[in-house]
Amino acid sequence: MSKLIPGRRNLLKAGAASLFLAGVPIAGLAKGKPPGSISVIILEGGMDGLATIPPIGDPDLMRMRKAISPEGYLPLNDFFGLHPSLKFYAQLMARGHASAVHATAFPYTKRSHFEGQNMIEGGGLSPFSEKTGWLGRALDLADVAGRSLSLDMPLILRGHHENDNFYPASIRGSSRPKANLVNMIAMGHKMDAAQIFTKIARKSEENVRVPRDPASLATYAGRAMAEADGPVASVIRVNNFDTHANQVEEGNTDAGRLARQLVVVDDVIAGYRRGLGKAWDDAIILTLTEFGRTVAVNGTWGTDHGYGSVGLLAGGTLSGSGVIADWPGLSKKDQFEKRDLMATIDYRSVCAACLEKALGIDHDLIASQVFLQPDLPRVFDHLFA
Amino acid sequence: MNNQFTMAQKIGLMFRYDEDVPQDMEGWIEQQLQAPSPALGIAKTGASVTEWPDELQPNLAKRAGMWRRYRALKKQQREGKNGQDTEAARQANRHENLMQEKDEHKFVQRNAYGADQVKLRLTSFWANHFTIGNTFDTGQLIGHAIDEGILAKLNGSFADMLYGITTHPGMLTYLDNVWSAGERSEEAKNCRRKPDCQAGLNDNLGRELLELHTVSVSAGYSENDIRAAAQVLAGWGIDLGEELSTMRKRTGGNNHWNAYKKQWAEPGPKKVMGQTIYAGRSGLRQLTDFLASHDHTINHISIKLCQHFVSDSPTKAQIESIKSVWHQSNGDLHAIHTQVLKLAINAPDAKFLWPMTWLFQVVRLSGATYFKGWENTHNYNNKLMHTKKVFEELGQSFWSLRQPDGYSNDKAEWLSAEMFERRVRFAEAIYVNGGTRRSANKIMDRIGAAEQTRALVASVGPSPKDQFITLMCSPELMGLEYV
Repeated sequence: MSKLIPGRRNLLKAGAASLFLAGVPIAGLAKGKPPGSISVIILEGGMDGLATIPPIGDPDLMRMRKAISPEGYLPLNDFFGLHPSLKFYAQLMARGHASAVHATAFPYTKRSHFEGQNMIEGGGLSPFSEKTGWLGRALDLADVAGRSLSLDMPLILRGHHENDNFYPASIRGSSRPKANLVNMIAMGHKMDAAQIFTKIARKSEENVRVPRDPASLATYAGRAMAEADGPVASVIRVNNFDTHANQVEEGNTDAGRLARQLVVVDDVIAGYRRGLGKAWDDAIILTLTEFGRTVAVNGTWGTDHGYGSVGLLAGGTLSGSGVIADWPGLSKKDQFEKRDLMATIDYRSVCAACLEKALGIDHDLIASQVFLQPDLPRVFDHLFA
Repeated sequence: MNNQFTMAQKIGLMFRYDEDVPQDMEGWIEQQLQAPSPALGIAKTGASVTEWPDELQPNLAKRAGMWRRYRALKKQQREGKNGQDTEAARQANRHENLMQEKDEHKFVQRNAYGADQVKLRLTSFWANHFTIGNTFDTGQLIGHAIDEGILAKLNGSFADMLYGITTHPGMLTYLDNVWSAGERSEEAKNCRRKPDCQAGLNDNLGRELLELHTVSVSAGYSENDIRAAAQVLAGWGIDLGEELSTMRKRTGGNNHWNAYKKQWAEPGPKKVMGQTIYAGRSGLRQLTDFLASHDHTINHISIKLCQHFVSDSPTKAQIESIKSVWHQSNGDLHAIHTQVLKLAINAPDAKFLWPMTWLFQVVRLSGATYFKGWENTHNYNNKLMHTKKVFEELGQSFWSLRQPDGYSNDKAEWLSAEMFERRVRFAEAIYVNGGTRRSANKIMDRIGAAEQTRALVASVGPSPKDQFITLMCSPELMGLEYV
């Protein structure tokens, strides 16, 4: 049952991350820069929360998933431990700059990647119900235009038509297009396409080289956000959390696919810390994943699609460190549909609290206009009080 | 554009700069659907177009052998043995034993030079529908799956294609099935007696077989159905790196495309969406046949086909007409494709083109040599980028690490400044480095460009390069609507 384990360098190259920077204040339009910045790390594939922050104090954990629980966890308190890959994150926790929310999820229980990803980015009430994303709508409320640093514009940032993306090309034999040529081409196109060509013209003077590995992207994003007129939001996407097989290595529960991906997450958070510098004090970083994974191990050293997972938060804005949870338990009767970790905290509330802190918008406004759920509970005080 | 080029843009890759343009387009469609599909390309820049050499198109057994050899040399490299730990040895190992770059290269060449443009477009549609992302060892297999699992099966039934691609080692590896074992299988039973042994069900392929490849979530199946599908699949496929002796022992043969490990299979009948599926090797064919003819499958894929070829927002009538042919023909792909293509050429709407489709069309219309010859796949060229890099900058590749839902057929997903900037820049790069054989004006005359396109191209002044870029990025050549 052995499987090729690619070296970490290869994986970083292959497991391409992409960065989206957003929320550039528009001169003469913005109400002034929001109080902080918000960065979202999207973990595609469904991260296993139970291995990332193992509830070591729950007697059912070792009974049900000994084969894949990291033996070398770092104890956080009597009940929760931390995966050994998250070394930098552990240091942040020790300094009161990181927290985790456990047994949490968006209200989506059907276990499809594609519906789930649409929910966590769109932030609507059901999959595919929204054409814009929750972060894009929030940036609209805060009156800042978005910009993303990737080839495509991620759903989470879609909102304002001024939103824009940016991912410098490197194509032999071509240079950045001339603004006047692109403007002429734009004139031949219909509305939406014309607008896009106009955007190319607008930025055709810029010439920036941007790194493409996740940690450097995070540093780059952090630096940009730390600038006085820099963006207020960024999104980094890290894929490959769909650990159906070889979540751990045979005979070493601290290694394997999940361990490698968590190192990437740790590096991304460290990259942000490095890049943000002093702006760290006003920053909040949070992870987002479409669902957690089954409590039971599936027989290929992995886990299948589940429900509740964990959210990792970091930043100088947090009021302290801890694992915030209303622990549902792991026994069969406590599981969601007798297979998954139950979610007891609506992760949209966590996203709303981060938006409230970073953008200075009222919770009620976020609840009704961003998440379209006026009675969304407010958890702000648990994180930032 | 004149009728011929409008059709070739929508359902093909455009007539090459020196290719005869047919008059009877319905006849052309039929002839294209039946066209032989040799992998055409060039050995080096300036050489004439010929068929790719056999030795660059190895079969599965050879690919598996190369993969085992690659891994053995990698091991020696890690251990510093036999001089394998030099950069030259590492490179030689990659170039000799890995197929990905050669396959990608063959794919672009075939799309640039192929005389079977309609089949190549259909191939891309289905290769995307049955996405095999580049993870683990699938890089060695994706090209084979596209050629033998899709292109070679375009004129058979959908049921045959579905079964073929579901059992292809590329798919079985990408979605983890090669490691899955039924919970009551012999393997799982033996395993439970040993400490730290793992053998059990992995539902990844079972889930996507239902959600993406066939009925889609609209069918309202349950987790139990997904599990049952995974149980039917348990036992299928074997790790590409497995030694031949082990493979023979476990599967009773050495054919990776027909590798069924009885010891890993779940005994007893299963029930998927109300259908009883019997135990054993033939159970999978029974399941894929059942799914292939399911109403929800027909509906799901008819919509996708329509959106890809006919219109950015297809009408109900268009979708219904494909569904009805699907039903009448019992899922005969030749009949279904014919209907889709007929609809496409009779629908007046512009149809937005994927980045790679557009790139191939620009290359064909202009007669550029934008891709290196097969003798130079791995060699640096001052002007022509590695194919892998071309795809990376384009933002679309069948060899990328991506999710199993593949690339979107929805125009909105592709409308972004960076995506459009890529088109401007690739048009420039093709003009500057590709040695184009036709100017913007010559191309416009040949395709019968619209007055608006001519006016747009004229508006940018006398520079032939600017004119070329403008033509290729005009609404007409991008498949977008006019102002």
